[in-house]
Amino acid sequence: MEFRTARAAACVAVAALLIAPAAALADPAKDLQVAARALGFLEAAPTGSVVLGIVFDPAKPATVAERDALLAALGPGLGAGDMKITGQGIEAGKVGAASGVTALYVTSGVNYAEVGAAASAKKLLTISGDKACAQAGHCVMSVVTSPAVEITVNHNAATAVGASFKAAFRMMIHEI
Amino acid sequence: MTHQRFLRSVAHIALLALAPALSAQAQTIDYGSLELLFNEPVTTSATGSPQRSTEAPVAMEIISAEDIRRSGATDIPTILSRVAGVDVLTWGAGGAADVSIRGYDQGYSPRLLVLINGRQVYLDHYGYTAWATLPVELSEIRQIEVVKGPNSALFGFNAVGGVVNIITYNPKYDQTTSATVQGGSGGTFNGNVVDSFKLGSDFAARVSAGYSRTDQYENVTATAPVNAAYLVNPERRAVNVDTLAQLAARTQLRVEASYSRVQQSDVDPLYEYTPPVYTTKSAKATLSSETGLGLAELTAYRNRVDLDYLFSIGPVSWSNTIDVLSAQDLFKVGTASTVRLAFEYRHNQLPTAPIGAAEVSYRVYAPSAMWNWAVSDKVALTTALRVDSLHVERSGGFPAATPFIPGLPGLEWPLQDNATFTRSMAPVSANVGLVVRPSAVDTLRVSYARGVQAPTLIEFGGIQALVPEPQIPVAFMGNPAIEPAIIVNYEAGYDRSLPAIGGRAGLKVFYQTTDGLVGNPSATNILVPPSFTVIPGVGPVPTSLPGVGWANVGSSKLSGAELQIDGKLAGGYRWGFNYTYTHVTETPYAGQDLMAVDVAFDRSTPSSRANLNFGWSGGPFTADGYLRYVSGFSLFSPAGALEPVPAYTTLAARLGYAIGPKVSVAVAAENLTHGRQQQTSGLLVERRALLSLTAHW
Repeated sequence: MEFRTARAAACVAVAALLIAPAAALADPAKDLQVAARALGFLEAAPTGSVVLGIVFDPAKPATVAERDALLAALGPGLGAGDMKITGQGIEAGKVGAASGVTALYVTSGVNYAEVGAAASAKKLLTISGDKACAQAGHCVMSVVTSPAVEITVNHNAATAVGASFKAAFRMMIHEI
Repeated sequence: MTHQRFLRSVAHIALLALAPALSAQAQTIDYGSLELLFNEPVTTSATGSPQRSTEAPVAMEIISAEDIRRSGATDIPTILSRVAGVDVLTWGAGGAADVSIRGYDQGYSPRLLVLINGRQVYLDHYGYTAWATLPVELSEIRQIEVVKGPNSALFGFNAVGGVVNIITYNPKYDQTTSATVQGGSGGTFNGNVVDSFKLGSDFAARVSAGYSRTDQYENVTATAPVNAAYLVNPERRAVNVDTLAQLAARTQLRVEASYSRVQQSDVDPLYEYTPPVYTTKSAKATLSSETGLGLAELTAYRNRVDLDYLFSIGPVSWSNTIDVLSAQDLFKVGTASTVRLAFEYRHNQLPTAPIGAAEVSYRVYAPSAMWNWAVSDKVALTTALRVDSLHVERSGGFPAATPFIPGLPGLEWPLQDNATFTRSMAPVSANVGLVVRPSAVDTLRVSYARGVQAPTLIEFGGIQALVPEPQIPVAFMGNPAIEPAIIVNYEAGYDRSLPAIGGRAGLKVFYQTTDGLVGNPSATNILVPPSFTVIPGVGPVPTSLPGVGWANVGSSKLSGAELQIDGKLAGGYRWGFNYTYTHVTETPYAGQDLMAVDVAFDRSTPSSRANLNFGWSGGPFTADGYLRYVSGFSLFSPAGALEPVPAYTTLAARLGYAIGPKVSVAVAAENLTHGRQQQTSGLLVERRALLSLTAHW
């Protein structure tokens, strides 16, 4: 009887494992790490010291919190391939005035259209952890890492900023 | 135009075509960077295009370098035996084994395509793999990609049961250095060294060498002992060089060369032990470039194998040479389509043996195309087609007449016309796979595949032997009328990543048909009956030999299911379980007796095989255990009868300890539960234990 109870419990546990929806908790630091690696697949991949602008909206606490998490993850410099990446916070409304940054990481919830237009005008590559930003064409690339790595590149947005990715990379991501 | 001139011309034209690319852009696939990016293994074995393993449109598994290291195995068949759906027939010590994917277990199994970095390493004269001849050390393997089911639309014929593509570390991207010595029971000694180095920023190389020897298993079978003349202590030597030169910013030239010499005792298609000496040599060059027109690749290689067998008919030596030249371009069309266009030329030649003075060869011209269409971010459709236009030729003379009745002319060899052996065929291979990902963790696959198993050069006529029989001698010969076997596979699968346990689970069901099963030469299957003449007062007397050879004898159906799940637990634990069920039925062609031609895949295929593994790592220690179960089945013996092989369970284990960052020791053992165990119709497999010492620098 004990065996049957244990077997039933095991069956329930396995079924629960298979049926339960996978948790999809965003992890900005992890997204950032994958995004940094993805930069290495640009045709003209940056090398050496790279400054990543972290775009946030001071009026939206969630974006401020994400900025803080990202800057903490970058710390004194995140190594990715031949790059050492540091961060710099940039307010969403001041992207047009940004200088000294190689690319922008757009926190989830800022005004994507406004940021995208400003970044495009400055030929700056934009990355976001929110797939909607790339889908709408406001970001060049979105990176989601949980529960699985999903990278989306918006071809038109990439063309607009003069970015192109290596062929093997393009074959392995979702391109729209 | 001679063969050599043709090859030179094609190579010249291809190089000219690729020349503009030299100043353009491109690289070979950097598996390590892509794996790190996507947090999962990547592969090119499914479609020829780089893909994440979870998105491949075929059933496949990837064995990582870490899996290999912790396997405790010293040969590739043992590593493969732990993959769901893989059967391994271990005939002797030293890795002498036949590997089958999803059944059709047999001696010198010709249904599996085995590659190292895309170069075929199975022995083309008969289509089987002598695993110890593979010139690769386990420590230089990045991953082993196992594709289940036909994939000949990408790789060409032989890829019908599946494909095993061994990917080594890339000398440019991966720094691999190690030296390993192993010793243990059965007089086993293995030693190998792998070193990578760079000369400047544009040239990198990896060199490996290995030596191993062990005592053969005791001459004990479930029935009668094996003829001792066929049993040797296995010994292996191998050297491999892999270099990569950066010719331009995005253009690379990779040159690989290898040598191996192996002697072992294995079991031939007639289920007789034989102690062949294999000497393999290969050279391969791959020029790859990322051009404005995509990833272009031009590959040329030559494989040469010298084989010295000892069969019951006496010693037989073959030299098989194969030249392959291929070109492909892989490119994206728009944002949703990836296309691969390729062309392959191969020339395969085999002088006849043991009676020589002739040669059988074929040329293959094989255009192929693959289209991967990302319908949306959740749906992808892959379609691949390949035509192998194969032209067989025979040149040279025929064996002399065989004296039979004193005072009368000897018996002529049958089919003494080379034109009879001239054949052309153009079988079509196809693969279609639909992948649906309703969520980031769920993957559904539905696939159709049509694979082609072309006859081998031996079957076409590479063998010429006179076999004495009580009534009349028999000509053991090729069959110019043999047809390719066609394998059609339908499959559906569901996989789910399980982030909560750091693992995945999957279920696959498949149904497969094979038309044109090949049966062994047999007195019941005369290819060419003897001719007779009537001598007055004497009666009819034979004037020619009866000819026997391989022939298409029937069809079969396979159905099955595969279940697997793995995961990780807190504290450094990992576990995995897989189970595969298969069921084979056969139908003989009219007038054929399948048992007489050694075809009984319905009984030689176990219905069940399962693997359970459990591992732990903590600090400097790693511990792993592997339990394998195979249900009972039957295999032919040299006497031609089916011998039962009872169900068996084996246990293997490895315990490793890192003495420091650069030195580790390990003790590993196989067949722990039995001193000797029956796993085939041949020698009983013995328990063996090994102590290893590995250093890195």
